[in-house]
Amino acid sequence: MKKVVLYTLSTCPWCMRAKKFFREHDIPFEYVDYDKADDKTKRDIKEDCLAHGSEMSFPFVKIGDDVVVGYNPDKYSKLMGL
Amino acid sequence: MDSEKRKEKLRAMFSKVVGPLGYKFSPDTELVDFLLEQEVNIEKEKGSPFCPCQGLTGEREHDMKLVCPCIPFHREHYDAMKRCWCGLYVHKDIEDPDSLMQISLQEFLESKK
Amino acid sequence: MNVESRWILAIRVDELPDGEKTALLLEGNKVLLLRKEGVFFAISNKCPHMECPLSKGTLEDYVIKCGCHDWKFDIRNGEFLDAIEIKVPVYETKVMDGSVFVNLEGAGI
Repeated sequence: MKKVVLYTLSTCPWCMRAKKFFREHDIPFEYVDYDKADDKTKRDIKEDCLAHGSEMSFPFVKIGDDVVVGYNPDKYSKLMGL
Repeated sequence: MDSEKRKEKLRAMFSKVVGPLGYKFSPDTELVDFLLEQEVNIEKEKGSPFCPCQGLTGEREHDMKLVCPCIPFHREHYDAMKRCWCGLYVHKDIEDPDSLMQISLQEFLESKK
Repeated sequence: MNVESRWILAIRVDELPDGEKTALLLEGNKVLLLRKEGVFFAISNKCPHMECPLSKGTLEDYVIKCGCHDWKFDIRNGEFLDAIEIKVPVYETKVMDGSVFVNLEGAGI
């Protein structure tokens, strides 16, 4: 199964929905709340986001080598082969 | 000012800002309440009601463009989605906000090419 | 439409040096008076975004930048530079007998 990592904000309802999606599909994932992270983690996430031209929009969902910015269950499903 | 009062104050102020831009609060009242509550908390912590769904970098020029309503600074992108990034505001003609998707900035820019 | 002018005495001309601004309360209205290139401009002192006093902002050329969130307005027509649909109310000014008058017609609506 592809590795799933989510960058999220603790204040963002779409981030919560993205987490719910993976939970409901029994897909294990890691996540980091950018707003609660330490400075070094924040810098790393920022670099990752900007490299994908996302301008710090969350959720930022990494599925294997692919990235989906935003809550988009159809894309998550497609990339997970659901 | 207590949180509930501040929330209503933000609602009143922001409604005047987004109206002339062709936007209104989302008909999803539960989502609107949740987002405004987040903004009140963010304002308490950071001094301004920043977007609950976009990350701050600590650079003033970047962060000030994320103070709600941030529509003026992301107009084309939001107009294409008919909603703002967090979904607090939608175009005035929208009745079913769930039909609107988040489109990443990169995707939006590529679609323009 | 019957539009009545409401010219209110604001300050004496020599009270505001060129390039400066001052916050005034005219008949209960918060007004920001600015002097630029010898001309007086009057706008509402409340930023249309979150009602911050624009008097705490900075003036560069004909643009006032709100000190709260950096929203920028043209003091000549009140337009918000990033979305001209949003405007800060602008009032007419005139100078008579060494004093500046502001026309508050339409203010307080």
